[in-house]
Amino acid sequence: MSNQGNIELGDIHWLMDILQNIDVGLVVMDSEYRIQLWNGFMESHSGLSPQVAKGENLFKLFPDIPETWFREKCQPVFQLKTRTFTIWEQRPYLFHFKNYRPITGRATFMYQNTAIIPLESISRSIDHICVIIYDVTDIAINRRDHELQLAAIQPGRDTPSCSASIIAPAIPAASALEVTNKPEPAAPDITAHQIKPQATETIESAVIVRDRHSWDDTLNRQLARCARSEQPGCLVCLQIDNNSSHYDESLLALFNRSLRQSDTAYHCDDLLFALLDNSDAGDARFFAERVRKAIKRLGDHYSVSIGIAPYIDEFESGEDWQLAAEEALLQARHQGLDCNQVFEP
Amino acid sequence: MNTASPTVTLSDDQRDCYQELTNVAMGQAADRLARLLGEYVVLPIPRVNLIESSDLRMALEGYGEDSSVSAVCQGFIGSGIAGEALLVFNDTSFKDLARLTRREQDLTHNGQLELLMDVSSLLIGACIQGIGEQLEVHFNQGHPVVLGQHCNVRDILKAGNELWTKTLAIEIHYTMESVNVDCDLLLLFTEDSVLRLNQKIDYLLD
Repeated sequence: MSNQGNIELGDIHWLMDILQNIDVGLVVMDSEYRIQLWNGFMESHSGLSPQVAKGENLFKLFPDIPETWFREKCQPVFQLKTRTFTIWEQRPYLFHFKNYRPITGRATFMYQNTAIIPLESISRSIDHICVIIYDVTDIAINRRDHELQLAAIQPGRDTPSCSASIIAPAIPAASALEVTNKPEPAAPDITAHQIKPQATETIESAVIVRDRHSWDDTLNRQLARCARSEQPGCLVCLQIDNNSSHYDESLLALFNRSLRQSDTAYHCDDLLFALLDNSDAGDARFFAERVRKAIKRLGDHYSVSIGIAPYIDEFESGEDWQLAAEEALLQARHQGLDCNQVFEP
Repeated sequence: MNTASPTVTLSDDQRDCYQELTNVAMGQAADRLARLLGEYVVLPIPRVNLIESSDLRMALEGYGEDSSVSAVCQGFIGSGIAGEALLVFNDTSFKDLARLTRREQDLTHNGQLELLMDVSSLLIGACIQGIGEQLEVHFNQGHPVVLGQHCNVRDILKAGNELWTKTLAIEIHYTMESVNVDCDLLLLFTEDSVLRLNQKIDYLLD
C-alpha cells in the first residue's frame, strides 16, 4: 500500500522471517489460481513445502476445495479490487488442516475464517490475490457448545433441560448478539426446573445411561474397539425439534425399544445418544429414520432431528466422536428440522 | 468515565460534506452490486446524523416489530478512526436476491448466509474503501460477523457497548427497481473518531 515505498531492500530478509513465522496462513495466487507464495503456516499445516506448492494450481493441489464456490469469492477481488471474506459458518474450513491443539483441543480439524485481498501490480491492475487464513477453532467450538446449550433451553413446563444459571455466565455480551435467531428462553420458568423429573427414571431400562462418566467410558471403549477391529460403529444424536415438547416416558420407552441389546444409549439434558455397535452409516440411517417416524406417530407435536456420526480414524477420543454427532445434528436442524444428517468430515 | 471529553458537534457544512463523501462511495458500491445482480440499483440520499448510541434502534425503525431480518456487521479502523458497518437485510429480500444470482435452488439457511456474506462483502467493502480513499485513510477491515439470521431488529441491537455515547451514523437505504430487495447499510463511527473525522472534513472544506 502507501507505505511500501519505505521498505528498503535490506529489510526484506526480516520481512520474510515475519512472513514465515506469523501464525496465520498466507497464500498468494495469480489469476490462474497458481500458487505464488506459501508461507510457513501453510507449509507446517499442509505438509507441503513452498517448493512443491509454488506454481501449482490450487484446485489440483487441493481437490477437496469446492472450486466453483471459491472462484465466486475470488472473482470480485480480481475484478472489483474489493476484499472478500469467508467465515467458518459458511464452510468450516477452506484447507483441511488438523486442529492446532491435537491433545487438549476438542475439534478434529481447524475451523478457518479467510480474507481474500487484492494485490496491486505496478501497472495498478490486479494480477494476484492473497488469501489469509485465520484459525478460529476455539471460537467455533465455543459457539457450537453455546448453540447446543441454547437449543437445550425449552420454555415448556416440565422441562428436563439445563438450568439458565449454568448458561448465563457463558454468554459474553457480544456473542449474545450472534445467536438471536434462537428462540428466547423463558428464563424464570427454567431456573425453577434445574433437575430432571425423577419420574422418568423408572421407565428407562438399564440401557439408557445417565451418568456422564460411564458414558464416556463406553464411548471410548467402543472407539478403541472400532479402531482395532475395523468394525463399523455409529454414534447417533437425537434432539426434539419443538422447544415446548420434552422427553416424556413414551418417547424414551420407544427409543429404548428400538435399540438392540448390544447398543448403548445416553440421555443428557435435551440430547439422546445411541451408540450402535457393528453398524455402518447406512444401518444408522435406517435406524434413525425408523425412530424418527415412530416418534412422529406419537403425536403432532413430536418431531426430532437426528445427527449420525460413523466412526472414522480421525477421531482421537470419544469426545471427538460425540462432537461430530452433535455437528451432524446441528446440520440437520439447519436443514429444516425433522430429518437426519450424516456427519461429513 | 471520561465525561470531560469535548462534546462533538456537526455543522451543516460538515454534514453536507459527509453526505457528499458517502454519495461518491456508495455510488461505487451500488455499481458493484448492480454488476453482481445485473439489476439497476436505486441510489438514495444518505442520511447523516449524530445520534445517541441508545437511539441506534430508531435508525432502523423502518423495519416493523414483527418483520424478520438478517444482519452482518464489520468493524473497520484506520488512522485512529474506528467504526462499524452494519448491513441489515429484510428477509423477504432473499428470494429475489437468490433469483438474481441464479441460486434459487439452494435458498436454505446456508444459502442465505452465502448471499448475505457476498452482498455485505461487496457493499461494505466498497463503501469503506470509497470513503477511505477520499479521506486518504487506509481502513483495515475486521472479519464480518453475522449478528443474526431471521430475527427481530430489536434483538440485533439489544446488547451494545455503552463506552461511547454518541455516534456518527450514516444511513444508506438501498432498494432496487422492479425487484423486492431492500437493505440498510449503516456506517457508525465512534465518538472519538468523529473529532478526527471532522478535522479531516474541515481540511477538505477549506
